Amino acid sequence: MTTLVAVAENRNGTRFAEEAMGHLDTLYRGALRLTRDPAQAEDLVQDTYVRALRYQHSYQEGTNMKAWLFAIMRNLFWDRFKGGRPEDVSLDGDGELSLYDTLKDPTAVPESEVLDRIAADEVVRAVERLPELHREVVLLVDVEGFSYKDAAQVLGVPIGTVMSRLHRARQQLQKSLQDYARESGIVREEKESA
Amino acid sequence: MNCNGCLEKLDLYLDRELTDAELGDVRGHLERCPPCEHRYLLLAGMKRLVKVCCDQGAAPSHLRQKLVQILF
Repeated sequence: MTTLVAVAENRNGTRFAEEAMGHLDTLYRGALRLTRDPAQAEDLVQDTYVRALRYQHSYQEGTNMKAWLFAIMRNLFWDRFKGGRPEDVSLDGDGELSLYDTLKDPTAVPESEVLDRIAADEVVRAVERLPELHREVVLLVDVEGFSYKDAAQVLGVPIGTVMSRLHRARQQLQKSLQDYARESGIVREEKESA
Repeated sequence: MNCNGCLEKLDLYLDRELTDAELGDVRGHLERCPPCEHRYLLLAGMKRLVKVCCDQGAAPSHLRQKLVQILF
């Protein structure tokens, strides 16, 4: 009987490990975006898997393992690299452009075709320049395709917080890419900034 | 739906987080309003770009090997 139980547990463990390894590339890319450093990304991913293995009993089979792993990794990231979980830091009001202001000033909105001419490296840099709390929401929703609900669960915040951080992150990204497009001459300066 | 209402829902529309009825309202407005549609195309383009650019590259093989030893 004991042997049967052991065999069954072993099988479950293997299935768990196989499923977890299926998310390795995704987790590594996420770790790279969070830490911005390949060596730290490797450490973070390894620690994530070690912790996942230790807490595998708390994972419910058939639920979203990617979200579960991301939650572990994200908490480790804040604990190890940032010296503690983020308090609900207010990032409000740091120079937000209202959508209406953007809309009223046609020069503030680059043509969408301009996006096609921006180098992939520059997009990654723009994402990596976002404050961590904004960056992680972009990673979850835009890169990994998480629903707001799943992202909120991973981050341990209300859905409204996911929405406001995402909105601000997108505004920052737009500004960043727009500045790059102007500086690199992809779009011409419309106004002299005298 | 006016421009203000549309812009408030644009992120949700982009991320498919609206009900069918709300989705229809936003889509209807975008079809009639070029400035809002322009804004939407830009947002959608950025989302696509971020996805494509950040979703490249595999974990190093030595990391994979190390994890296999740890996990199996």
